[in-house]
Amino acid sequence: MAAGGTGGNSGKTYSFKVVLLGEGCVGKTSLVLRYCENKFNDKHITTLQASFLTKKLNITGKRVNLAIWDTAGQERFHALGPIYYRDSNGAILVYDVTDEDSFQKVKNWVKELRKMLGNEICLCIVGNKIDLDKDRHVSVEEAESYAESVGAKHYHTSAKLNKGIEELFLDLCKRMMEMAQAEERLKGNGASQSASSRRGVQIVDDEPQATPAGGCCSSG
Amino acid sequence: MMSQRRGIHLDQSELLCSKGCGFYGNTAWQGLCSKCWREENQREKQKQIQEDWALAERLQREEEEAYASRHQRAQSQPTITPFSKFEERKTKEKSSKVNTVTKFFTPSTKTPPKKDATNVEVQSSSSPSSSTSRHSSLDSDHATREFIDFLRPLKPGKEIFKQCRAFTEGMVYKRDMSADELSECVQDFYQNLSERLHSQFKGSTDHVESIMDEVEKYMMTHLYKEVFCPETTDDEKKDLTIQKRIRALHWVTIEMLCVPVDEEIPEVSDSVVKAITDVIEMDSKRVPKEKLACITRCSKHIFNAIKVSKKEAASADDFLPTLIYIVLKANPPRLQSNIQYITRFCNPSRLMTGEDGYYFTNLCCAVAFIEKLDGQSLNLSSEEFELYMSGQVSPQWPQATGAFSCSSSSTALSQVHKRLDLLTGLGERQERVMEKARKLESDLIDWTDEVEQKVQSVLESFPAENQSPTAGTASGTASAAASAIDSDNVENELLPPPLQPQVFAG
Repeated sequence: MAAGGTGGNSGKTYSFKVVLLGEGCVGKTSLVLRYCENKFNDKHITTLQASFLTKKLNITGKRVNLAIWDTAGQERFHALGPIYYRDSNGAILVYDVTDEDSFQKVKNWVKELRKMLGNEICLCIVGNKIDLDKDRHVSVEEAESYAESVGAKHYHTSAKLNKGIEELFLDLCKRMMEMAQAEERLKGNGASQSASSRRGVQIVDDEPQATPAGGCCSSG
Repeated sequence: MMSQRRGIHLDQSELLCSKGCGFYGNTAWQGLCSKCWREENQREKQKQIQEDWALAERLQREEEEAYASRHQRAQSQPTITPFSKFEERKTKEKSSKVNTVTKFFTPSTKTPPKKDATNVEVQSSSSPSSSTSRHSSLDSDHATREFIDFLRPLKPGKEIFKQCRAFTEGMVYKRDMSADELSECVQDFYQNLSERLHSQFKGSTDHVESIMDEVEKYMMTHLYKEVFCPETTDDEKKDLTIQKRIRALHWVTIEMLCVPVDEEIPEVSDSVVKAITDVIEMDSKRVPKEKLACITRCSKHIFNAIKVSKKEAASADDFLPTLIYIVLKANPPRLQSNIQYITRFCNPSRLMTGEDGYYFTNLCCAVAFIEKLDGQSLNLSSEEFELYMSGQVSPQWPQATGAFSCSSSSTALSQVHKRLDLLTGLGERQERVMEKARKLESDLIDWTDEVEQKVQSVLESFPAENQSPTAGTASGTASAAASAIDSDNVENELLPPPLQPQVFAG
């Protein structure tokens, strides 16, 4: 049922959904704009929006369609998170290295994502704005050890200087592909089983209504 | 007319029932008498039912095991559900059962035209409700034709059409299922078909996608009536709830939501209006994909509004609040039903990763936000929020404290003043007109009085001495006036006497 790995061996094209999570003003939008359009604070805006962007990649001969979903970072929209990250293959959790608070928010997100989606999602924790290193309030060691403790990868980026962004997305794609392939192998054994079980559920619930319907047809 | 006239020349025997029962036949009943026609019709219907039944059986064969397991559950189910609930369900069933029966005998929207054509005469006279379903089937027929046209150049086209048609027809027999199960069926079908297209027909991803779009269009146009806001769900109740909720929130302003849109700019307010129109239009579409397209257009207008206001590309931080604002302003009809319908019956690949899916997700977020909205999320104290919700206080009204509201209210005020000035000006002018009218009236009265006086005085100074005796009573006064005028002439007497009107009694 996962969105990723459409078709697997025969399809050859993977499509992944990646959500961007993080407090407002940590540079989520700049990050993704830099990656997809190579723009930063451009005065000549040609893009209408920077909230949904796609990128086509070719990784070791496999085609990958990446759909990047920006989310509203304001605190009052926090409760809407599950609607956004449902069915996503990867999550990029962005914080501002000069803002301790934003790192706390990332921790909250990680907890929530692991609780809701388990290990089905690739997590990337990203410390953005490393060009402002002199004002750094989140230590490198703390961030990296935290990331490791929750099974996420940690990256340092600067959307302004275009640092670390390419690596971040490439790494994430590779990890998502591995995950999709592993899932396919699993599905190879259990696919038919899962399908039949699903059908079973579907029939169980409709029972009281369907039986009389059958009766009516045969009598009429 | 023609047949009647010709009928005169016909032999008596040809007017009789073609079954030869001795009664007269009727052309409307294919030359049969009423009794024979009823029998014939019944047989026809029975045949139709049997055919349909066979078809249904064939379609559901794959699910026979599933049915079996369901029957096992049949015994345990009623004991689990509370009796009242069970009873309620039962009555619901009954009503829908009646529906099923009538549905059965009518050329339903799901019956493809080919089948329709052969049975048209039989069916159209057999049921009073057929005219309504016939009307709606126009759309479906159109969709069918388009679908066939689309599939014709494709190699597996025939196969696809056969499958889709069989499935769509099969869905009629599942109309008593809950919405989630219907959705499951449709989604399974989508998945199976696209997998087959990939593996068996070796279609490229894009190609398969475009075929699936058409499949969705064809199927959902046919199934729309059945599966949109079905009676087995409480979608309708939810629609009303959110509608009331949005209406109660009419006082929410742009500033409370922190919407980065400046409606003073004409282009922006234009985009806002367009966005509102688009999101309302969603309800009028039948196919999930077209509904999604409406949301996407709405979103594009919102992005445009943000871009013009902020001079930079819109991020999700800007987009979501604006979308919430638009939904609050638009209060789109049947919002929940539409969302549920799209979620249940849209092609999953589009919903999960596509751009349309992103905007749709945002719409879901906006609705979720509106449902849970409280004072805190609008930066208001809970007391303020309660006051506004109860309608006791309106935030736009009083003390225009904020700079924004000040400017917006001042423009409104100046407009009000301008209008007031205009109104007073109009009032004055009207007053003047009235005055003049009154004066004119009194002038007229004066003038008539004056004329009367003059006439009187003239009459007095020249008494009617030369009144002609032949003048009838009708022309008497007229001749008197004429002679009075004539009397001014000096050589009055020298002139021949005036011509007298002659009255012919006829």
